[in-house]
Amino acid sequence: MKAIEIIGKGEEMHGRAYIPSGREEAGTIIKKLKENGFAHFVMLSCVDWIDKNEFELVYHMWSYEHKEHAMISVRLPRDNPSMFSMHELFPQIETYEREIHEMYGIDFEGNSRLTPFLLEGWHDTPPMRKDFDSKKFAEDVFDSIPEIKEEEDEGI
Amino acid sequence: MRYEEWNKISRIASRKSLWMLHFCTGCGAVELPPVMTSRYDMERFGMGPMATPRQADVLLITGYLTVKTLKRVVNVYEQMQSPKYVISFGSCPINGGMYWDSYNTVKRLDRYLPVDVYVGGCMPRPEGVMNAFLELMKLIDEGKARGWEKYQKYYEQYKRNQKMAFGFERGKNEGD
Amino acid sequence: MKEYELFIGPQHPGVTGNMMYHLWVDGDTVTKAECNVGYLHRGFEKLMESRNWMQNVPLVCRICVPEPDVNEMAYAMAVEQLMDWEIPERAKYIRVVILELARIAAYLMSIGSYAGSLGIYTLPQWALGDRDYFLDIFEQLTGARVYHIYIWPGGVRWDMPEKLPGLIEKTLSYTEKRLKLYDDVLFKNRIFFDRAVGIGKIPKGKAIEWGVTGPNLRACGYGYDIRKLEPYAVYDDMDFEVIKYPELGDFDVLSDGCDAYTRMIVRRLEIEQSISIVRQALEKMPEGEHIIKHPNWLKWKVPPGYAFKRVESSKGEYGYFVVSDGSNKPVRIHVRGPSYTHGVNVAETILKGANMADVSQILFSLDVCPPDIER
Ligand code: SF4
Repeated sequence: MKAIEIIGKGEEMHGRAYIPSGREEAGTIIKKLKENGFAHFVMLSCVDWIDKNEFELVYHMWSYEHKEHAMISVRLPRDNPSMFSMHELFPQIETYEREIHEMYGIDFEGNSRLTPFLLEGWHDTPPMRKDFDSKKFAEDVFDSIPEIKEEEDEGI
Repeated sequence: MRYEEWNKISRIASRKSLWMLHFCTGCGAVELPPVMTSRYDMERFGMGPMATPRQADVLLITGYLTVKTLKRVVNVYEQMQSPKYVISFGSCPINGGMYWDSYNTVKRLDRYLPVDVYVGGCMPRPEGVMNAFLELMKLIDEGKARGWEKYQKYYEQYKRNQKMAFGFERGKNEGD
Repeated sequence: MKEYELFIGPQHPGVTGNMMYHLWVDGDTVTKAECNVGYLHRGFEKLMESRNWMQNVPLVCRICVPEPDVNEMAYAMAVEQLMDWEIPERAKYIRVVILELARIAAYLMSIGSYAGSLGIYTLPQWALGDRDYFLDIFEQLTGARVYHIYIWPGGVRWDMPEKLPGLIEKTLSYTEKRLKLYDDVLFKNRIFFDRAVGIGKIPKGKAIEWGVTGPNLRACGYGYDIRKLEPYAVYDDMDFEVIKYPELGDFDVLSDGCDAYTRMIVRRLEIEQSISIVRQALEKMPEGEHIIKHPNWLKWKVPPGYAFKRVESSKGEYGYFVVSDGSNKPVRIHVRGPSYTHGVNVAETILKGANMADVSQILFSLDVCPPDIER
């Protein structure tokens, strides 16, 4: 696999390269891959591993040259997670970081646009974290709203 | 002419030319273009799309409403001129549908806006949509489509519910 | 001159659905644009974590409304990869047929709404009316017009009815005839040339870096198509050429690519391409099973691992990232929608300097679909 050759570590996973990386070196790895043909940034996803008490950021990159997919995985602690922003390498990372900041509460240093993206006026736990219970929230908030009480005679 | 009689005439007139507001709030909106265009052609009923709320009579809630959209929908609804009618599409505005446990969609539309006609189904077929339009016309004719009067009468209750859904009452985001 | 702020959407016929663009305009030139989404955010990815693997199938198709089948396909492929399932040949061919039909339907809708944004109101009437015949096919094949829930992990839900290929062929040849008329009304129409050539240009060298995919990328001159790059189902068996700028068939090359004009022409040509793929798939379709034997849905557990699968939709690249920890519910499903880059970053950048009157045609020519931005 080309990506593993370029970086010098990682394993193959169902035909895709999976490269674990530390928080600091991720920037260099992504930059190196970008220079070596991995020009398309597919997406940035985040997984909440609550039992291990960590978040996993997965940077997906695709190379049209080598027809290969690389996943760079960075693990962060669950309390006060923060990561470097990489929006200078690929502009669309800015949007992904905005979403992950909102949905998981991860801070991205260097991204000046971490404003609310999908939600408005949200003050609870970030909703995609595993310890946020969507069902309970929906019951608490929406089921507690009373029905409209109408008077008996429809005298309108 | 007495007020009652005049009302009757105005109802007949308004039922024959209903303008629906062009606001796609959810996935049901994808069945509206077929209804509007050549195959099903709702202009036969004297209905047409309208871009501005101030000249529209019918507000279509096409599917689930997120909290963020509900704010805009209420805004739009209050800009429309009476008499105005609300049709709700699909099972999401009735009881939450398949997003019953979602944190961001309001579950029961009738707690925030008065609904005149519901169309069931996920998503409703164009025939269902047109049937709803005919049903609405019938209700207008009989003088039973009075959601807008209800909204005026129970304005306080509706406002309270809307604020609760927007989270003002949760006490965490004043100044929004 | 004084700068004004303008909001288009969410209640506005000129945006491609329930989303909003916040524009700063100077005279009638846009100086800054900001995309505001979230009006359709239902928290899909959260909901999927609390449902089991089979309950997610009806959820995934609701992510993209005009073309739901690609979602089912990508999800099914990812799960099949984790399960290590080999699906029957016949199912693969049926999948290709339905995916391509859905692509044609989505293109017809996008062409129709694009023409509407130029003020050519004949084409929306025609294209959306013709799209309905495709929905009729879906109804016979799957039972539903819009959300089909037809492609399941392990195959397709039902076998193809015997008489359906006849109906499909009839619809396809009808569409081919109609496409000629579309050409007269839109694609070879002077109004279209004058309005669209050179509008909404994506800088060519930046297209890949910005994450532009699908027809928008091919209009920039890169012949990349996931159906060729990473063939799924039986696309490697099909005979088709990737359409890209400047090989625009019998349409004139009027600009140097990357603009609204080229993007729409590429979409128009890909309808014909899809028609030919459907015909090939119907011809080559073998007999046999359409679905493998399934485990008990309620107790179905998927082995742990990461899976990433991509498909080519009418809007661009769809990717599903599925993580399992070996239980009966997924740990995480992340969807990469094509509009995520097109609608937010690309649109914000290329709207800068555009004329106010062109904003809506640029958005329609990028084919931005908000539900896949926000899920
Ligand atoms: S009822 Fe079904 S089709 Fe309608 S908005 Fe809800 S999920 Fe979508």
